[in-house]
Amino acid sequence: MSQSVEPAAGDSAEPWQRVHPASPFVHGWLAIIGLVYIYWQNTDELSWAERFSGDRLIWTVAGAGIALLVVLIFYFLSWYFTRYKLTSTHVYVNSGMLFRSQKQARIDKVQGIDIAQPLVARLLGLAELRFDVADSSESVLRLSFLRKADAHALRQVILQRARGGRPAHAPEAEQAAADAPAPADPQPAMQASPLMAKVPIGRLIASLFLQLPVIIGLLACLSMLVLWISGVEGIIAGLVPSVLAFGSWFYKQLNQGWNFTASASDTGMRISYGLADTRQHSIPSGRVQAISVTAPFFWRMLGWYKVEVNVLGTKSDDADNLQVLPVGDFESVARIMGILLPDLGVENQREVLATAVSTGSEHGFIGSPERAKPLSPGAWKHQGFLATGTTVISRYGWLARQASFVPHNRVQGMSWIQGPWERGRRLAGVRLHSAGGSITGYVHQIDADTAAEFIRAQTRRLV
Amino acid sequence: MATATPWSPSSFTPAHRDYAKVKLTTWAITWGVILLASLVPAVLAATGAGIALWLVLAPILLVLLLALLALRIIRRQVAALGYLEREEDFIVRSGVMWRKQVVIPYGRMQYVEVNSGPLERRYGLCQLTLNTAGTGATAHVYGLPEREGQELRERLVAAGEEQML
Repeated sequence: MSQSVEPAAGDSAEPWQRVHPASPFVHGWLAIIGLVYIYWQNTDELSWAERFSGDRLIWTVAGAGIALLVVLIFYFLSWYFTRYKLTSTHVYVNSGMLFRSQKQARIDKVQGIDIAQPLVARLLGLAELRFDVADSSESVLRLSFLRKADAHALRQVILQRARGGRPAHAPEAEQAAADAPAPADPQPAMQASPLMAKVPIGRLIASLFLQLPVIIGLLACLSMLVLWISGVEGIIAGLVPSVLAFGSWFYKQLNQGWNFTASASDTGMRISYGLADTRQHSIPSGRVQAISVTAPFFWRMLGWYKVEVNVLGTKSDDADNLQVLPVGDFESVARIMGILLPDLGVENQREVLATAVSTGSEHGFIGSPERAKPLSPGAWKHQGFLATGTTVISRYGWLARQASFVPHNRVQGMSWIQGPWERGRRLAGVRLHSAGGSITGYVHQIDADTAAEFIRAQTRRLV
Repeated sequence: MATATPWSPSSFTPAHRDYAKVKLTTWAITWGVILLASLVPAVLAATGAGIALWLVLAPILLVLLLALLALRIIRRQVAALGYLEREEDFIVRSGVMWRKQVVIPYGRMQYVEVNSGPLERRYGLCQLTLNTAGTGATAHVYGLPEREGQELRERLVAAGEEQML
């Protein structure tokens, strides 16, 4: 992102364009609310009628008019100075009046483009483009806001250029899954995007309440509430922060699963979700570093799983792993795994996957020996691993059982570890570290000789 | 104690013996500060506050005990450090109670850092850090003589570039 700003020769045919005129409002609507709020606070003693009668009416109107004018001028300037341009090699975004910023991204380095719709933008039918550029770890290039159909079209054009294809191709290839009743493209453009998973809202809410952290959190809040009602006044100091912390965590989970759809695209898969904001991510299979399939305690009875991935770059700002399936049955898991990890390195892919997400030593899984029982009484039967031709599958966890899949060529480094109690029982573990998130291959408490043999064999597979 | 580690400890290049002195100095400074903090009740008692005797003695004894335990293990900890250069990857080992061997293939290396703090410089030592794209996959080599550190870095970078081709 550090090329010179001057556009390449021969691209002058593509003019600078401005974003949608409502963009400053979407960015700054909070400021307007704030102004109104301040006005209301300062005229608190007046009744509704007094505000708009007699001399006050003139002052109110004049004041509001001036404020509106100032805001409009700022909005206009902000809009006027925000311009973007697409050439055959770069995307340029200029913004700012006093503090100008000129950003550009090389199109051949663009790895993915996400479309985001904050609440107000969605009400106005606008969308923001977020460019995910290979050579910059942070500072995502953003272009906001465009009409939603324009945003999709532009995204498609840029992705095509990034792939080296000609822009003449039909632009509505892979986005249709996101907005089913899109009036902008009359074709039933589903041919390239078969729906792989969809999360019904009822199941999402049930799945959230069937997790132990949620149950414990709810019980804690409830007991504090009971204490408070029964007269322990001081407990309120603990209640408010816990309810807030729990509530925000819960909302985040809800938001990440709301209206969740996953569909296949020509490079990998696309997901979209969101309660207030609609988010879309494209996840090219080639950039997935590790996958984990989790089954929390109560979900196991229902046969539900959650799938998360470590993926380079495309994640939003937070450091969490990217959910590619908030809750789903084995069929959905198998479909998603088939896209993200098409070659599991075994012939009976489906059966191996079934063993991986449950318990058992079929298909060559090597488990913890029975002498691991005192160290992990709940988990030792589940713990185990399998190294296939392409991937290391490892199972671990007690209440929430996890299986992680790390392809050999994605392993960044490995650790062999042995604590004092494991040494006494001739056990050891191996961790396979990957990039792009916190999912690791977690080979836990297996026979020490097997562990040593495994890591030695694994070094030959990594190269 | 006879369980196998993946690579035999004797094949590793150990940390320089002077690194134990660095660790001892760090130990003295750290535990000196903690000991001072544990003297607070004693000082309060001396200035006339009514504090029970055991409250005065317990923190001091506890700190002394922990400090001695830490001291006992330092030499073994330093002896447990080591690195091993192989054809395709680089291995470091560490830990007495929690033993660990970390393998980084040259092809996954992103950059190599050589750092030295004031204490390490006094003994002519440095430490080398090998980073990859994965957060967990980082190898630290402690107690390297400065020249050896520079040479090791050159070798690692060269090996990494070879893998890139």
